Amino acid sequence: MSATTTTASTPSRLSLRERLHRADGRLSPYVYVAPFFAIFGVFGLYPLLYTGYVSLTNRNLLNPGTRWVGLDNYSNLLHDSYFWNAVGNTFGIWVLSTIPQLLMALGLAHVLNTRLRVRTLLRMSILVPQVTSLVAVALIFTQLFDYRYGLFNWLIGLVGVGKVNWEAGDFTSWIALSVMVTWRWTGYNALLYLAAMQSIPDELYEAAEVDGAGRFRQFIHVTIPQIRPTIVFTVIISTIGGLQLFTEPYLFEPLKQGATGGSARQYQTVVMYLYEKAFGSGEFKFGYASAIAWSLFLITIVFSLVNFLFVSRIRSAH
Amino acid sequence: MRTMTRRRRPTKAVLMVIAAAALACAVVVASAGAASKTTLRVDVFGDFGYKPLYKQYMKTHPNIVIKEDSEDYQPHHDGLVKHLATGAGADDVVAIEVGFVSKFDNTPQYFVDLRKLGGMKEATQYPKWKYEQAIAKDGSLIGLGTDVGSLAICYRADLFKQAGLPSDPTAVSKLWPTWGDYLKAGKKFQANAPSGTYFYDSGSNIYNAIIAQANPAYYNKAGKLLVSSNPKVKQAWNVAVQGYQAGLDAGLAAYSTAWTTGFKKSTFASVTCPAWMMGYIQTSAPAFKGDWNVADVPGGKGGSWGGSFLAIPKQSKHQAEAWDLLKFLTSPESQTYVFKHTGNLPSRTAVLKSSAVQGFKNPFFQNAPVGKIFARNALALTPQSLGPNQGDIQTAVSNAIQRVEQKKQSPDQAWAQFLKDVKSVTST
Amino acid sequence: MADVHVTAAPLPAAASRTAGRHRRHLARRFRGAGPGTYLLLALIALVSVFPLYWSLVVASHSNSAVAAYPPVLVPGGNLIKNIDRLFNSGVVNVEFWKALMNSAIVATTVAVAAVMTSAMAGFAFAKLRFRGNRALFLAVVVTMMVPVQLGVIPLYIEMIHFHWLNKLQAVIAPNVVSAFGVFFMRQYIVQAVPNELVDAARVDGCNTMRIFWHVVLPAVRPAAAVLGLLTFLQAWNDYFWPLVVLSSSNPTVQVAVSSIASVNYFPDYALVLTGTFVSVLPLLVLFLVLGRQIIGGIMQGAVKA
Repeated sequence: MSATTTTASTPSRLSLRERLHRADGRLSPYVYVAPFFAIFGVFGLYPLLYTGYVSLTNRNLLNPGTRWVGLDNYSNLLHDSYFWNAVGNTFGIWVLSTIPQLLMALGLAHVLNTRLRVRTLLRMSILVPQVTSLVAVALIFTQLFDYRYGLFNWLIGLVGVGKVNWEAGDFTSWIALSVMVTWRWTGYNALLYLAAMQSIPDELYEAAEVDGAGRFRQFIHVTIPQIRPTIVFTVIISTIGGLQLFTEPYLFEPLKQGATGGSARQYQTVVMYLYEKAFGSGEFKFGYASAIAWSLFLITIVFSLVNFLFVSRIRSAH
Repeated sequence: MRTMTRRRRPTKAVLMVIAAAALACAVVVASAGAASKTTLRVDVFGDFGYKPLYKQYMKTHPNIVIKEDSEDYQPHHDGLVKHLATGAGADDVVAIEVGFVSKFDNTPQYFVDLRKLGGMKEATQYPKWKYEQAIAKDGSLIGLGTDVGSLAICYRADLFKQAGLPSDPTAVSKLWPTWGDYLKAGKKFQANAPSGTYFYDSGSNIYNAIIAQANPAYYNKAGKLLVSSNPKVKQAWNVAVQGYQAGLDAGLAAYSTAWTTGFKKSTFASVTCPAWMMGYIQTSAPAFKGDWNVADVPGGKGGSWGGSFLAIPKQSKHQAEAWDLLKFLTSPESQTYVFKHTGNLPSRTAVLKSSAVQGFKNPFFQNAPVGKIFARNALALTPQSLGPNQGDIQTAVSNAIQRVEQKKQSPDQAWAQFLKDVKSVTST
Repeated sequence: MADVHVTAAPLPAAASRTAGRHRRHLARRFRGAGPGTYLLLALIALVSVFPLYWSLVVASHSNSAVAAYPPVLVPGGNLIKNIDRLFNSGVVNVEFWKALMNSAIVATTVAVAAVMTSAMAGFAFAKLRFRGNRALFLAVVVTMMVPVQLGVIPLYIEMIHFHWLNKLQAVIAPNVVSAFGVFFMRQYIVQAVPNELVDAARVDGCNTMRIFWHVVLPAVRPAAAVLGLLTFLQAWNDYFWPLVVLSSSNPTVQVAVSSIASVNYFPDYALVLTGTFVSVLPLLVLFLVLGRQIIGGIMQGAVKA
């Protein structure tokens, strides 16, 4: 009796365990990636795609009746001088901040890539800006750039330059904002470059030296091409980040009047304009703001690709 | 192996940090649970001068804790719209400025109808025009008045004297029967002014005062938008532009940090002065106590700029308590207290007529009879027709005038862009 | 030099040892950094730290000293007084204490949750065989490059429907997953958890959950710590989204600080920068204690990318 039970049940128990085991092997990978994809889907992907839909309606927070308007928002956007102004400002500030930032980071990484005492201390101090919150950066620098009592105007006063009303001017406000961005990100990028430089095999430098290349030419012909993937990465990251600039210009404004970015919108970025239309001017035009968001999304993709191709060309030129 | 121990260290530290944070959270939750008090939140903009009153109220109501949130004019009202429309985030008692009250008249469903709480008994103690501003389209009462703006000119008597102008308020008032005369007096002042001092602070303040005197201004009674068609609007604009072109305008964005610092640094000698402006003057530059005085506003009597209401959003979980607090904050005693200490002018008829207000002389302003000046003006007021985007238009024009003051645009360009902005904020 | 490898990158031990030898050799051959280099670096370090120092200077003076011209460059004795004012709701327009607590709750929750979800997904991508593994991982990588912030309006509408506006869930939920985190953990697990170990555990009869819990999680603690720290920093510093969904009655510390700064009724730079300084202080302390690991984490991420 007992023997028959054992012989009869053992294979079935085994197969059950086996089945469970197989199910575990087949299904659990999905269980493990599910939280990421589920939450990302709900709070990341879906909103992004739904933005495209909302942009084709006249949705307004204050107005319950939502109507399909087709591409009206986009055609209005094409003729909206404030939008193009914001696009221009965003690119202007991006150029003024990203190019010096990445060049300085390259130089800094090069200098750091030597035998140094107090190395950790140096690395930590150049990373302090990255730890500092955007809000803190914006508020501290806004005070430093104050027209009447700011430290910068005092400093340039020492060399005989008159006070500059940084916030009021077009170009000067861009410079002030670029200084904030550059300050926060140069050290971070330098560390990325440094990490890449440290993994360049020494043989390449030896070979270059044999060819009679000086230190500068080695930097150009060995270092730069070798860390190119990292350069591409930083360019893309700063493109995506730069085109979404918001906190610094938003808090730079002396008086919050709906995120206009100065009295003449001289430093209103695209995301600020989005914020103004959606939340900051009593308009609450969700449809129109979504069109702005979706346009910025497309601009970001196109511009990232352009940058990618551009940086790739740098390599092939050498 | 060395590697391992080195690597383990951060983990431990991180765990400790996390544990500490979690502990802190637990403490907070526990302490919040222990208190059975009702917290009432009051959402204002700028400073309503209520803080001492809260203390007083909490003393007599030991079960109530009052917390105040405060932001700037535009963000406050934008936030309020957002909180009401989404049903979350609004405080128990909220301030609404007259520039926005018409906007909320269209959405009475978001507010507790104060009529149901016996609010009409309170409301009728205000001038008719004042409480009618808070009557919504469906007849419900959404708020009770706090203050009215009224209008005068506050000026620095010492600086006027230095520049060879009269400094006595009667004589000063005679200098400027009209706004044109105000600019003329300004030119005289500017010719002998101490260096670095301008005649007035900001073009938008001049402009807003003139608009406050116009009726109709931005909207007619039927609610039609008149910004581009009403000649009074362009005239107000022209006065501001002429003052700027004559070099009388310090060009400070009103209510910005630079502007408040301007009080400290004597950057300007006069400022258009609704009663609530006295609060800004006193807190911005307490050192100039006794140097300021108050004269009549040019352009004749009447005109009120500003003034607010307190309302209770329907989403409040403590409506009865909020109503009791609201009644306290708008009571005759509270209004009188705020007037004396902050400057905001009471809006109850009886309080405006009371000897406490009428007889009040403010030592900060050389003992000027501010009670008489402002109350007289407020009682004689004919109210302006309001529209839903009053406040948004005011923000747009302030930006436009600033563009001129910062030399970023010619007056014509700035005006054209202003009209465009108005079109944008008034369309949906 | 050795400690650099510990923090920098878990390259295979042999490779990193040779790289180390090369680098040492290289550095000696190139330059023993001269006084000029040190001077330059000291200057850069100074510029990096100065703004925070400046916020301390302003925070330690009375407000009227801030308007002094020429500016005062050394700290004064008012710091305690200003901090006291900062936490006094009779002076400030926000409850700063509540804001700090809110940020601690948000950042801690986000960090712990993001590490968990990232470790799980990273483990699956690194060690489990399943259909769509490569395609899904590619999706994660692409996701890293997508500016999801642009979905702010539908996300806001979602929050209305969930009744989460002005609640901390609204800032926590969207951040408990991180594409970078998944990527980072996957790369780490590939190297730190040998396949033999996983196979051996399976032979011993461990199911996937036990493997994850008893084999993988202990092995990834260093990476989890770094990722947790970076996520904590990010969540603490986040501004745009909290600004949209929270109000000043229930703010995070960033929203609170900006709210103090934007009430111009009584412009008080001393108070604003005291708030700024206090809001950065917890991170500075974390950074001072664990800076080496944070730097390592960033450089490690770079090598992988």
